[in-house]
Amino acid sequence: MKLQLRDLQVRFGEELAASVAALDVDAGEIVGLAGESGSGKSMTIQAVLGLAGTAGATVSGSIRLDGVELIGMSPARLRAIRGRRVAAIFQSPGLAFNPVFRVGTIMTRALRLHGLSAAEARERADAALRSVLLPPELLRRYPSQLSGGQLQRVAIALALALRAEVLLADEPTSALDVTVQAEVLGLLRELRDTRGMAILFVSHDLAVIAELCDRVAVMRAGEIIEQGATSDVIASPRHDYTRELLAAVPRLDA
Amino acid sequence: MDDDNPLLAVRDLRVTLGPVTAVDGVSLTVAAGPFGLAIVGESGSGKTTLGRAILRLVPAAGGTVLFDGQDVLAMRGRRLREYRRAAQIVFQDVDNSLDPRMRVGAAIGEVLTVHGLARAAVGDRVAGLLSETALDPALAGRYPHQLSGGQRQRAAIARALAVSPRLLVLDEPTSALDVTAQARILELVRRLRAERELAYLFITHNLAIAGELCEQTTVLYLGRVAETGPTSSLLATPAHPYTLALLSSVPELDPARRRTRIALPGGPLSATTRPPGCPFHPRCPLAIDTCRVSVPELRLVAPHRQVACHRGHEVHAGLRPGADSAAKTQPASDDGSLGGPGHVRRR
Amino acid sequence: MSPPVPAPPDVPGRPPLTARRGALRLTALRLTALGPAARRDPVIAAGAVIVGLIVAVAVLAPLLAPFPGDAGSAVHPADALQAPSLHHLFGTDQVGRDVFSRVLYGARVSPLVALFVLLIAGLIGVPLGVAAGYFGGVTDEVIMRVTDVFLAFPSLLLALAFAAVVQPATLTSLTIAIAVTWWPWYARLIRGQAASVAGRPYVEACTALGLPRWRILLRHVLPNSLTPLIVQVSLDAGGVILTSSALSFLGLGAQDPVPDWGLMIAEGENYFSTQWWVATFPGLAILLTALAFTLLGDGLRDLLDPRRLLLR
Repeated sequence: MKLQLRDLQVRFGEELAASVAALDVDAGEIVGLAGESGSGKSMTIQAVLGLAGTAGATVSGSIRLDGVELIGMSPARLRAIRGRRVAAIFQSPGLAFNPVFRVGTIMTRALRLHGLSAAEARERADAALRSVLLPPELLRRYPSQLSGGQLQRVAIALALALRAEVLLADEPTSALDVTVQAEVLGLLRELRDTRGMAILFVSHDLAVIAELCDRVAVMRAGEIIEQGATSDVIASPRHDYTRELLAAVPRLDA
Repeated sequence: MDDDNPLLAVRDLRVTLGPVTAVDGVSLTVAAGPFGLAIVGESGSGKTTLGRAILRLVPAAGGTVLFDGQDVLAMRGRRLREYRRAAQIVFQDVDNSLDPRMRVGAAIGEVLTVHGLARAAVGDRVAGLLSETALDPALAGRYPHQLSGGQRQRAAIARALAVSPRLLVLDEPTSALDVTAQARILELVRRLRAERELAYLFITHNLAIAGELCEQTTVLYLGRVAETGPTSSLLATPAHPYTLALLSSVPELDPARRRTRIALPGGPLSATTRPPGCPFHPRCPLAIDTCRVSVPELRLVAPHRQVACHRGHEVHAGLRPGADSAAKTQPASDDGSLGGPGHVRRR
Repeated sequence: MSPPVPAPPDVPGRPPLTARRGALRLTALRLTALGPAARRDPVIAAGAVIVGLIVAVAVLAPLLAPFPGDAGSAVHPADALQAPSLHHLFGTDQVGRDVFSRVLYGARVSPLVALFVLLIAGLIGVPLGVAAGYFGGVTDEVIMRVTDVFLAFPSLLLALAFAAVVQPATLTSLTIAIAVTWWPWYARLIRGQAASVAGRPYVEACTALGLPRWRILLRHVLPNSLTPLIVQVSLDAGGVILTSSALSFLGLGAQDPVPDWGLMIAEGENYFSTQWWVATFPGLAILLTALAFTLLGDGLRDLLDPRRLLLR
């Protein structure tokens, strides 16, 4: 099992922000984490990345990557893992890139930080961009010159270039147009199929989760209330809240 | 549909934002309430600018806007103030729609006072408006940050209703909300439509919402109308390749209803790099030579259905992109079809 | 347009974590919540306490000072330059006045000057800034260029000019001189904030709802543009006190026998190596006051930092 969460609890003082009894993401599968704002899904991602501490939270429980425990790991070892083996993409791609650097510089820097030489880094960045259907010329542009969809694809390219095994995606398409969203979702599917990536996809849009994810966990008020194969959960939801979420999705009557 | 005395009639509206032509000759009609027109489009379509221009929040560069037969763009003084009572707007940005320093009740009350309501009657009316939008009247004493996103949006709607408008422009009112809050807002709009005989212009990028709330839909692309017509007909038999692509991109809960995705290469073009001919042709899977050269005009393709596409009839009759264009795998070319300077959402 | 971020859900009763924390921070804007805030943050606590002490001293000076007359025109040449003792806590100055009493009364002078300077600077700078930010275009250009002209004047130069014209210089001329060089900063600051506020949906909504311009400016744009000003003013108070003390030290402000701390330092300058107390205690007072206001301002700024609201 690639990524295993057990009894994970993220607390702000007394307040329990997220509580995950059990969640698994295997290589070559996309697991969805569905829920609304405040459900704790984003905090779960932050915890897996080891970043919950900077937000002032305390994390307890177990997060295992290929069986290796991440909680309590030294910051140095975590840094080697973060970005390199576990990559993340977020809702506002524009905010994830330093606007004063060219996209290429940002990518090669990240790659070199994880041990590649300058030449290798450039080559990987080039190849990665091509994998996400972007021309390598974009490496010379600044983030402000790219659209949201392009930036999100660059973020995914970076995960590819780093040969990440796990991708954590926190509402990566919520801010994108629907046609662009479809492209990005297609890309994620490809990552799962051709690279065998383990993807944890967080979203409040159940329709997107229905289309993309193999399995889904529904979160509410910090807890997972229902989990299972996507088709099962959607066809026969066991929890009232899941039913409520499903009913709230606007349908295209055609 | 009764076109004779529309509440709102827009003809060839043009709006420029600096060097960019955000709205390039858009015409539409909104009948008197109860009635809903959906304006569907993505970034760069000009849909938000359109809504603002109709309400005189941004200046128009050309065209006419008639409200109840009166020229909106030429209004000043008292006429303009009256128009502002008759046509209102609800914004997408839920976090900044209400003055963070004012209690919700005070914000709504201010509108009532400014429009002449006696101070003594304000309290009751505010309570009434809050209840109408399914909010507890006790929330009048709260500040916006003490309300949830859905509550804030409903308070903004209550404020807009304070002037008893006949036309409501809803600019993606639910895009920033979670699905359940969104469902409640949509339910609210439905109810207000019935109770107040409201006419609304619902701006959205979500075709499903258009389907649920609006009898008419207009699809915009790069500031021009791609096609327009009764919503059910438009969704069942689209006549424009862009509508096809939009429909195919909408994520579907029910696997049985999923459509083959029609990929559009490149990103939405910025309005500054408008190509010659049809604005959609660089990304269109069905483009032919005429498309690169001449701009298609809106033409009737079926009763009440208009489309701006040289192949509109064919698409309407069932033409779909072939196997070769259904899933583009080559990288997008770098000749401007990558979208120029852009950020996540542009209007 | 910023990308839409899902807002807190409609869970009745219990507002989500983020909204609660945001509300917590935002209520500190109200002075009544400054207390609980101070208890949590030692910086703001220290600043607030010392500022409070200074204000108390200023108000209660007649009661606290053992020799109130010495803060006025009383002179006792026989007791000149006595070292600090139980009788005279801070010693006496060159004409025998009790330094302690004068320092206490001095708390009325410098902070009052600062108050008036900031008040005048605010009254000039804020309206101009709001107008420039909200209206933009030509109005903005004109106001900003005028601002630039005034920014070019160092307060020292202007105070000298006033001193040349108004002989001898007084605290009033000092106040005006500093205020005139201070308002442009506020105009600049407010302008940026006002421009940002003017673009927000709720201001646009006001226009759409038919609210008259004056009302939009006064009741919506102005209150929402003032946050950075609150912090800036607290920080500036320290700066103005230093500036006014410096100018008084140079003889361009208060004149004898006004117990201005800067003036007292000037008067004690000649005796510094031997009768150090004459200049040192007023100097310490300036230090403490400026420090207190700076701490308060710093603490306020940290408290009002919007990034603290972004914890998800």
